[in-house]
Amino acid sequence: MSTLDPAITVAELRKFYRVPVREGGLVASLRSLVRRRVREVRAVDGVSFTIAPGEIVGFLGPNGAGKTTTLKMLAGLLHPTSGEVRVLGHVPQRREREYLRRMTLVMGNRNQLQWDLPALDSFDLQRAIYRIPQAEFRRARDEYIELMGVGDLVSKPVRNLSLGERMKMEIIAALLHRPQVLFLDEPTIGLDVTMQRRIRGFIAEYNRRTGATVMLTSHYMADVEALCRRVIVIHHGLVLYDGPLTGLVERFAAYRQIGVTLAEPADLEPYGEVMGVDGAKVTLRVPKAEASRVTARLLAELAVEDLTIEEPPIDDVIEQVFAADADVGLEALPS
Amino acid sequence: MIDFYITMARTAVMEQFQYRTANYFYMIGMIAEPVIYLVVWSTVAAAQGGEVGGYTPGTFAAYYIVWTLVRNMNIVFTPYAWEWRIKDGTLSAELLRPIHPIHGDIAYFGGWKLVVIVLWLPLAALLSLLFRPTLSPTLLEIGVFAVAIWGAYLIRTAFLWALGMVSFWTTRVSALFELYFALELLLSGRLVPMSLLPPWAQRLADFLPFQWTFGFPIEALVGELPPAQLLGGLGMQLLWIAVGWALVQLVWRAGVRRYGAVGG
Amino acid sequence: MFRLMYHYFRVGALNELQYRVNFLVQLLQSAIALGVGLAGLGVVFSHTTDLGGWTRPELLAVMGVHTLMLGLINAVIEPNMQRLMNDVQQGTLDYALTKPADAQVLVSVRELRLWSLLDVILGAIVLGVALAQLGGQLGLWQTLGFAVALLLGGLMIYSLWLMVTTVAFWVVRVDNILNLFEGLYAAGRWPVGIYPGWLRGLLTFLVPVAFAVTVPAEALTGRLTAATLGLAAAIAGGLLLLARLVWRIGLRRYAGASA
Repeated sequence: MSTLDPAITVAELRKFYRVPVREGGLVASLRSLVRRRVREVRAVDGVSFTIAPGEIVGFLGPNGAGKTTTLKMLAGLLHPTSGEVRVLGHVPQRREREYLRRMTLVMGNRNQLQWDLPALDSFDLQRAIYRIPQAEFRRARDEYIELMGVGDLVSKPVRNLSLGERMKMEIIAALLHRPQVLFLDEPTIGLDVTMQRRIRGFIAEYNRRTGATVMLTSHYMADVEALCRRVIVIHHGLVLYDGPLTGLVERFAAYRQIGVTLAEPADLEPYGEVMGVDGAKVTLRVPKAEASRVTARLLAELAVEDLTIEEPPIDDVIEQVFAADADVGLEALPS
Repeated sequence: MIDFYITMARTAVMEQFQYRTANYFYMIGMIAEPVIYLVVWSTVAAAQGGEVGGYTPGTFAAYYIVWTLVRNMNIVFTPYAWEWRIKDGTLSAELLRPIHPIHGDIAYFGGWKLVVIVLWLPLAALLSLLFRPTLSPTLLEIGVFAVAIWGAYLIRTAFLWALGMVSFWTTRVSALFELYFALELLLSGRLVPMSLLPPWAQRLADFLPFQWTFGFPIEALVGELPPAQLLGGLGMQLLWIAVGWALVQLVWRAGVRRYGAVGG
Repeated sequence: MFRLMYHYFRVGALNELQYRVNFLVQLLQSAIALGVGLAGLGVVFSHTTDLGGWTRPELLAVMGVHTLMLGLINAVIEPNMQRLMNDVQQGTLDYALTKPADAQVLVSVRELRLWSLLDVILGAIVLGVALAQLGGQLGLWQTLGFAVALLLGGLMIYSLWLMVTTVAFWVVRVDNILNLFEGLYAAGRWPVGIYPGWLRGLLTFLVPVAFAVTVPAEALTGRLTAATLGLAAAIAGGLLLLARLVWRIGLRRYAGASA
C-alpha cells in the first residue's frame, strides 16, 4: 500500500438497530409478554468519507448522532449493516491481528490500566500484548513519558493518580505499539485546561513524528481548533459537513458578534440582538450581511470607546448546525 | 505468547499479593464446606465398621484436605460476570487487542493460583494437625497431581467460558448457571468421592467433564491408583480440554458476531 | 373513588408482574438447592441407615428446618443487615437514625425480601414429608417446643448477625467474615451431634447454628429436653442483650465519627 492510498475509506456506511418498543400501561405490558414490537433505529444512515494518511480529522456531532457508532465500526467492534469500511487496507470487522496491531482506540472514560499497580507495569503488559521488541518499547515509553511530563508518576499505583494523570497514562499505553491509526473518543473529557493542552500537544507531536492518521471526537472546540484542519460533522447518522474547519464557521455562521464598549450606557436594542452585558461592554448579535452596516451606525450615532467584530464561538455554530433539521440539507442552510 | 503469559501472571501475583488478607479470609470461609462433608462421612464410616466405599476416616480426611487446594484451583472467571463484562466495555477493550481474551483470563487466574497455592500450605498443615489424614503418596502420584490440578483449571476455564458466553444472547441466565453448578457439585467428586456415588450416577459422570476437574486430581494424590489409570486420567483431561477448547471457539465466534451486530 | 381504586390496582398489578419473574427465579434456585440437598442425603443414606443416631426421616426433618430457617434469614434478617452495612459504608445511615422510632428496631425490620419466604414454604413441606415418614403424631408440647425453639434460634442468629454488622462501624471490610458465617450455617444441615467435640463447641457457642436448626428438629423428633430448651432461652436472651449493647456502642462511635 503506497502512501498515496487513503488511510481510511468509508462508503455508504449504515448501521441499523432493532430496538424493542417499551410502552407503559397494563394492557401494553401484558401484550408485550406475547409479542414483542420492535422499531428500527438508524444510528448511521449512509456515511461516506475518505481520510488520507497523516490527517487529523475532527469528528463532530451531538450525542446520539452516530459518532461513536461510526468509530466503533472503524475499530471493528461493530459490524456494519451495509456499506464498506477499509482502514489501512483492512476490513476492521475481521479483526485481523495485523490490523489490531496497527491501530488504537482510546475512549475517554474507559480504564485499561491495572488499578492497583504502577503505570509502568501496565506499560510492560502492553509490550507483551503487542509483542513490541524491548528496545523499541523502551524508546517509545521513555519518549512518551518525557513528552507528557509524568516521569515522577509512573511508579505510583494508578488508583492514586488524579483523573487527568490517569488519562495521560492511558494515552501513553495506547500508543506504545506505535499505531498508524488513532481513534480518539473524547480524550480530554473531564480534564482541566492544563491537562487538555498537554494531551493535545502530545497528540499533535505524535502525529508529527509518526505521520499517523488521527480521528478525534470531542465536545471541546479547543481540541478541534488546536488539532484538526478538517472536520466531519455528523447528525442523525448523516454527514452534514466535511471540509476545513474554517469553512465550517463561514458556511454555518450566519451571525457576527459585535462587542461594543460605550462611554455612557445606551439602549442597543434597535441595532441588533443583545446577547449579554458585562459592565460597560455589550455583546450584540447581528446577521453577517448587516455587520458592517450596523458597525458604521454604531460608530456614527453613539460614543463608542471600543468595538470588536468576532465570529461567534464555534460551539454556538455547531449548536446551530445541530439544531437545524438534517432533512433540510446543506444547501438550504443560510450562508 | 509465553512472554505475555509470564507478564500477565506476574501482574496477577503482584496484585493478588496486595489482597492476601482478603484471599485468606475467602479460603478460610471455604473450609467450612469440606469439613462438614468430612465429618459426615467419617461418621458414616464409623457406623459401618470403619470404612465405607473404600475410604476410612483417615483417607476421608486426606480426600477433603486435598479438596481445599483443588477447590481453589477450580476457581475461574465466573459466568455471572460475563454480563457485566459485556455491558461495561471491558470486552470492547479486549476485542481491540491482538490476543484472544481467554489468554488474559487463563494467564491472570493462573498467576493468582500461584499466590493461592503458597497461602494454602499453612492452612493444609493446620487441617492435617486437626484431622490427621492418612496419606502416603508416591513420586508418580505427586507428579500427576501437580499436572492434574492445572488440567482441571484449564477444563473448568473452558467450560465456564462457554457457559458465560450465553450472556451474549440473554441475561436471564441464573437458572442455567445454577443448574450447571448443581450438577457439577453432585457429579464431580466435590460433594462425595466418586466411588460413593450410585453406579448409575458414576456412569452418567463418565460422559461429563466434571470428575476430571475435581475428583480425579484428588484421587491421583489420595487414592491408590495404578500408573496406567493415573496417566490415563491425564489423557482424559487432555481430551476434555480439547472438547472445551472447541466449544469455546464455536461459541466465541458466534458471540462476537452477535456483539458486533447488536452492540453492548 | 373508583378511579383511585383502579389506580392502586394498576400499580399493584404492574408490581406483581415484576415480582413474578423474580419469583420464578427464586423458585428455580430453591428447587435446585433442595434437589442438591436431597441428593446429598440420598447418597449418605445409600451407605448407612443411621447417622449419629439420627435416621433418614429424622435427618430429612433437620433439612426441612434448615431450609425453613434459611428462608426466614434470607427474607428478614439478611436484607436488613445487608442494607445496614451499605448504609454504614456509604454514610447514609443518618436517615434511619433521625426517625422517631428506635433505631435498632428500624434497621432490623425495614427490608423484606418477599420471595425468600418461598424457602419457608418448601422447608415446611419437607418437614411435613419427614414427619409423615416418621409416622409420629405431633403432640401439643412438641409443636410448642418446636415453635419456641425456632423463635429462639432466629433471635440468636439475628443477634449475632447484628453484632457482626455493627462491627462494620469500626472495621469496614466485614463481608469476608460473613462468608465464613454462611459457610458455618451450611453445617446446620446435619445434626450438631456428629461433629467432634471441639468443633461442636465452636458451632454451638460461637455461631448458634445448632440452636437454630438442630434444637427445633429435636423438638419435632421428640428428643428435646427441658434443659436444652432452657439453655436455648438463656443464650437467646444473653445474645439479644449483648447485641443491644454492641449496637449502642457502635451507634455512639458512628454518630461521633460523622459529627
